[in-house]
Amino acid sequence: MQCRSVLTRIDALRTGELERGDSVEVESHLHTCGSCHDSLTDVENFATAVRSLAAPRRPGQESLVSTLCDSFDSIDVDGTRVWIAYSSNGVRAVDMRASTADEFRKSYGVRCRRELRQQPVPERYRKAVAAALRGELSSAPDVDLTGRTDFEQTVLRIIAEIPRGEVRTYEWVAREAGRPKAVRAVGNIMASNPVPLVLPCHRVVPTSGGIGNYGYGPAMKRKLLAAEGTPVEELETLAREGVRYVGSRTTKIFCFPTCRDARRIRDANKVGFHDLGETRELGYRPCKRCTPAVAA
Amino acid sequence: MKAPESENLALAVHHRAQGAFEKLVDEFEPRLFNYANRILDNRFDAQEVVQDAFLRAHDALTRQYEAARVEALAVKPWLFRIVRNLAFNKRRGSKTRLDEPLTAFDDGRIGPLVSGCSVTAALEEHQERQALEQALSTLPASSRELIVLRFMEEMSYADISKTVGLDESALRGRVFRSLKLLRDALSQNEVTHAV
Repeated sequence: MQCRSVLTRIDALRTGELERGDSVEVESHLHTCGSCHDSLTDVENFATAVRSLAAPRRPGQESLVSTLCDSFDSIDVDGTRVWIAYSSNGVRAVDMRASTADEFRKSYGVRCRRELRQQPVPERYRKAVAAALRGELSSAPDVDLTGRTDFEQTVLRIIAEIPRGEVRTYEWVAREAGRPKAVRAVGNIMASNPVPLVLPCHRVVPTSGGIGNYGYGPAMKRKLLAAEGTPVEELETLAREGVRYVGSRTTKIFCFPTCRDARRIRDANKVGFHDLGETRELGYRPCKRCTPAVAA
Repeated sequence: MKAPESENLALAVHHRAQGAFEKLVDEFEPRLFNYANRILDNRFDAQEVVQDAFLRAHDALTRQYEAARVEALAVKPWLFRIVRNLAFNKRRGSKTRLDEPLTAFDDGRIGPLVSGCSVTAALEEHQERQALEQALSTLPASSRELIVLRFMEEMSYADISKTVGLDESALRGRVFRSLKLLRDALSQNEVTHAV
């Protein structure tokens, strides 16, 4: 074997990674060639020296784990167990279905593709979720919607603006989001809302009237809306009568039935509409607060 | 040089076992960061690369790969390979190649490592360690990464081959040439110091 071939093999010889035939040849060469033998010593020295080099410190003090993983824990609200996941930017998920921490952690992993670490939920999130469940949340805390599509984020931000005590239709949300035909898509986004209660998807109802369905069942939706001061029974009565908008004879303005302006109309002046055609025929314009239709 | 424990760790991540991913991060983060930093020579870029690598690894282990594939995975070279790909992509992205020394790769004859420069005894000294650090930083990234994988990570040629994608005999030659470059850089330094 020539020196050249031996030199490229001495490092592998050092760690016993050479095949047997090779290592016998290399070793016998090393016995006769002083120069190659010195090189082996050098490689050994270099190996020791390089190993002693300290690993450089990365910037920032926080462990990378805290940026790669989100946190979670459960809270108890009047006997209901609510799971809350959060990142440093806000609430990531709210769930009342999981029965164990492991179940919540795994379903979160599948949905959000992130890992969770169990850690106490910050006071402001705990308070917000508890208030939301009692129908008392006036302004939503920060939510972190990273990983959701632009349209999903737009839609979720829009429903966050629906005032407590009022409801809007899927159609309205789609229109506000700039895609009036995407009513179904809005429905799907509501169904997969990662932060129910906090982002009030329960305030979105079918265009045909009534309160519609909910991830935690229509009874839960009804309870939440009632707790927020929404006139649920009135909504259901109107739905049975096919009334979707109410207007005022004095102002000639029409609203969604739960709009706080609509609720100020005296019964004597109140008029119900079944569809937008009726409102146009009678010369009513849409309310600017609840925007039940695009202004003509 | 196998690490059966981290192999099980990958499987645990796949099954979303509690704390498994955290353990994986804790175990490999400093070493992957060191590797990325030696390639990129920029701590912030290296940080970004490692973070991205872990996100990709997590996605692969939990979503893309089936259990059998995760079980057969050599985790360490796999993680280093992800970091390597991302790091070299980033290098390519930042056009400034000024950090690359002009005498890039001496493919000429391989001579013996002359023991003239006294790494032997003197390297215990902090100063000497700095000299080595300095010499290492003048090497091309392709040599730096091999030095890291072979001598800092003490990976086997088989594992380095999985990380870098060259066959073992080619790697043996490159590792030796990288050592030679390092030795040259080191002795050059000493000369400048002496003058």
